Amino acid sequence: MNKKGEVEKSLNELSEKIDSIKKKEEFNKNKSKRNYTGLAHAFKIVSELFANVLVGGCIGWTLDYFLNTKPIFLIIFLIIGIISGIYTSYKSSKKWQE
Amino acid sequence: MTYLNNIFLVFIIFIENKAFAASPLEQFEITRPFGLMEISGIDVSITNSSLMMIAILILLNIFLVLATKKKAIIPGKLQSIAEISYEMIHNTTKDNLGKDGAKFFPLVYSLFMFILLCNMLGLIPYSFTVTSHIIITFAIAFGIFIFATILGFVLHGFKYLRLFLPAGVPIFLAPLLIPIEIVSYISRPISLAVRLAANMMAGHTMIKVFAGFVVALGIFGIAPFIFIVLLYILETLIAFLQAYVFAVLTCLYLSDSFHPGH
Repeated sequence: MNKKGEVEKSLNELSEKIDSIKKKEEFNKNKSKRNYTGLAHAFKIVSELFANVLVGGCIGWTLDYFLNTKPIFLIIFLIIGIISGIYTSYKSSKKWQE
Repeated sequence: MTYLNNIFLVFIIFIENKAFAASPLEQFEITRPFGLMEISGIDVSITNSSLMMIAILILLNIFLVLATKKKAIIPGKLQSIAEISYEMIHNTTKDNLGKDGAKFFPLVYSLFMFILLCNMLGLIPYSFTVTSHIIITFAIAFGIFIFATILGFVLHGFKYLRLFLPAGVPIFLAPLLIPIEIVSYISRPISLAVRLAANMMAGHTMIKVFAGFVVALGIFGIAPFIFIVLLYILETLIAFLQAYVFAVLTCLYLSDSFHPGH
């Protein structure tokens, strides 16, 4: 009787130990996952900001080149590119936060 | 202060003096290891870049075939690498694409593994980093962009253009919002390509610059040497991360062609 009680006690201790280790592992896993998706997101935003301005400038320059209206469309589309860069990164940040 | 300035000047002189340090951009040069080959005037010679890509494809196939050959219940080292990569991309496609994800899993997985191996094998000295050339990454990204656009038009017809005007936006904002959305749509492949190529090129150039310091500084070269070791760890992380970001964004763009409204 006494022996059985001891075995049960040690079994309970073991299961508690396993549970705590499992919890810790899960926590660490979530933590690391959150960290590297954060870094990935930062890279994404930086390149979006840059690429939108670049594309806006390219569209404006091409329109100017074919319509012979030297700086007008370049300026308009550069501004649009900057706005859309900020807008896109804002949108993707909002999506990421959910 | 002047002392620091002098050290800085010595650094610059050593960088510019090619007798001491080779140009940090030399590693990105395209060469033809097997000489010039031509078919009716078109240059089809195998460059170091395409040689590296062929080697990566062969390696990738051998690795995956060998790793999944045993199908053990308790996986060995090789098998668990293959399983972890498979599961990671499987979860990513499932999270981003839902039930449509299964169809595009092979595409996303092969993209991820190819870019991952390109980045990782580029870190080995004397090898060549395929993804550091923007034309390679741009070709991949533009392929995805064209595919996603055609897929969107096939699935939704001209309703796909709703992507450029999100639902619930007042109509007087349309002239402002549509150009913005079009610019942001076109910029997708460029941002994909620039991110990958710039990260790879910047990291490798930085390592090479600091390697030049090690040679130039003699006994004090131990400081930049330690820095290179740390930089290599960071570069390994970035090599993995960029491949992962590429896969995730491919999923996101494909999901936009499934559900354009939001």
